[in-house]
Amino acid sequence: MLSKARVLKIEEIFSGCFFLQLEEQRIAGDSLPGQFLHVRVADNTVPFLRRPFSIAGASPRNGTVEIIFRVVGEGTRILSRLQKDEFLDCLGPLGTPFSPGKEFPVSILLAGGAGIAPLLFLAGTLAGKREKILVYYGTPNSGELLTPDKFLPPGVDVFLATEDGSAGFHGLVTDLFERSLKDDPGRAEIFACGPEAMLKTLAKKNRSWGFPMQLSLEERMACGIGACQGCAVQAHRENKTGYLRVCRDGPVFNSQEVVW
Amino acid sequence: MINLEVNLGPLRLKNPVLAASGTFGFGEEYASFFELEKLGAVIVKGLTLRPRQGNPPPRIAETPAGMLNAIGLQNPGLEAFLERELPRLRSINAAVIVNIAGDTEEEYLTLARELSETNGILALELNLSCPNVKEGGIFFGTSADVMTRLIRKVRRVCRLPLIVKLSPNVTDIVELAEAAESSGADILSLINTLKGMVIDVSRRRPLLGNITGGLSGPAIRPVAVRMVYEVYRSVKIPIIGMGGITNLDDALQFFLAGARAVAVGSASFINPYTIPRLISDLQLFMESEGLQSLDEIVGAAQR
Ligand SMILES: Cc1cc2nc3c(=O)[nH]c(=O)nc-3n(C[C@H](O)[C@H](O)[C@H](O)COP(=O)(O)OP(=O)(O)OC[C@H]3O[C@@H](n4cnc5c(N)ncnc54)[C@H](O)[C@@H]3O)c2cc1C
Ligand SMILES: Cc1cc2nc3c(=O)[nH]c(=O)nc-3n(C[C@H](O)[C@H](O)[C@H](O)COP(=O)(O)O)c2cc1C
Ligand code: FES
Repeated sequence: MLSKARVLKIEEIFSGCFFLQLEEQRIAGDSLPGQFLHVRVADNTVPFLRRPFSIAGASPRNGTVEIIFRVVGEGTRILSRLQKDEFLDCLGPLGTPFSPGKEFPVSILLAGGAGIAPLLFLAGTLAGKREKILVYYGTPNSGELLTPDKFLPPGVDVFLATEDGSAGFHGLVTDLFERSLKDDPGRAEIFACGPEAMLKTLAKKNRSWGFPMQLSLEERMACGIGACQGCAVQAHRENKTGYLRVCRDGPVFNSQEVVW
Repeated sequence: MINLEVNLGPLRLKNPVLAASGTFGFGEEYASFFELEKLGAVIVKGLTLRPRQGNPPPRIAETPAGMLNAIGLQNPGLEAFLERELPRLRSINAAVIVNIAGDTEEEYLTLARELSETNGILALELNLSCPNVKEGGIFFGTSADVMTRLIRKVRRVCRLPLIVKLSPNVTDIVELAEAAESSGADILSLINTLKGMVIDVSRRRPLLGNITGGLSGPAIRPVAVRMVYEVYRSVKIPIIGMGGITNLDDALQFFLAGARAVAVGSASFINPYTIPRLISDLQLFMESEGLQSLDEIVGAAQR
């Protein structure tokens, strides 16, 4: 489960946000949407821990796997300096993936910021298998928007929201989605990934909407494989309430499971 | 092939490299990376009598060359351990050492009694040094008197080799090591994590849900090596050394300071193969140095 993956491409999509394409046959073949890679940014004791990133795409045929990351601190800054043909130490794919239900002809993907990453991969695997795939994607402003068409398969409908109104709907992606519910979307299920505040709002509102909804969560991690109990999130599962592990029991949870 | 077997007092291990408590769970996850049978022993996650929920998140904070953790002894409790974890570990031939913790003397005693009557456990490690729970653990590990009383009582009910794990969060670790030896410990394990804290500047709040946590990783290695070195001079019982070991050289520092075995903790998070690699590197080292037994280097740095 531990591999050195060769960098095929690293590209700054917009200021501070990078697309990284890696070549590693095993990871490419095993990855499922919702899973993540736990990467070691430097062969050093500083930074000490690995960094988790959702898999944004994988092609078993080409042996490639992709992540999209924002530079937020030292680890992601080091990662952004990777060069083509260098190798990246990757543990994974790890975690429990999304589990889309065949009985839902409509898939609704709700993304906030870098939370778009796992949903791009999901949209890719659902394409052609659902009647409708709707992507609602929100960012603070148009400068922090990746052009979704570049990363999404054809036939996906994309609805944009920016908090400053510089592109698409002026406001939060959750509000944009709520407005769309004037028209019944049909038998739909929701997959969401984004900042905690967004997911919390969704989980609350969904108590009245009642969609089946899966959320991809984040928490600080050490091992990434389920051994240390470091990445705890409070949740109910199998009639028990307690701390589950984002890295192994998640990162994808049913929205009713999570205790906010 | 050189034999890596070691005797730690009454405890015989196939090699001197162990997985440190709390960093290896109950072995289940790492078993998909390599055969746990290869390890000197797996010291399982701190076990309490009843299940424990643990601390609110965040539980992990990265630090320079290390990390803080504040797990708060989340574990499934004795019953689930006996029903599920131990049989699984035994079925894959892992050498199991159980790390136990409690809020009260009674809890330690019940655990020691019950586990002594269970087959398939090599030794008990008394965790007197967890910095992340309120009453338990560290309360028993920072005062020589309190510690002596507890170890004596546990000794009476425990039929397994008894390891006492010491806290570095004390003024004089030698005093505590001597107290543990004289009250019946067979082996000492040191060090547990150093209490520390990180403040999230943007929120102007402590980063960890528990406010403080335990520091581990290469950052604490010099402290751990020094403590092993000092304790070795004043006790006769064997020492399991740990704190920031990532590779052969790190481990050799501990052997040379006086440890007869070592445990690897946080380094497994970075590379899950750290322990099996260390075992084979140690083997190669002994062959290339012409060593017949580790005894030839244990404590060799003492001046
Ligand atoms: C399952 C999962 C999937 C993720 N997927 C993506 C993704 O696709 N794209 C992306 O840009 N980011 C993603 N993140 C967040 C990403 O892991 C952090 O932004 C990154 O670890 C920050 O590292 P740093 O050294 O730059 O920041 P620092 O703040 O310097 O990191 C310090 C420590 O905090 C941890 N940390 C900081 N922020 C986070 C966070 N949000 N989540 C978890 N740990 C954090 C770091 O891992 C490190 O241990 C994901 C997180 C998780 C848990
Ligand atoms: C996440 C984590 C959990 C731990 N849990 C326990 C525990 O339950 N009982 C215990 O005695 N020590 C526990 N420890 C301490 C380790 O066993 C070890 O003493 C310490 O981490 C130093 O070794 P290292 O630097 O190699 O990690 C824990 C350490 C970490 C990092
Ligand atoms: S990060 Fe160790 S259990 Fe999830």
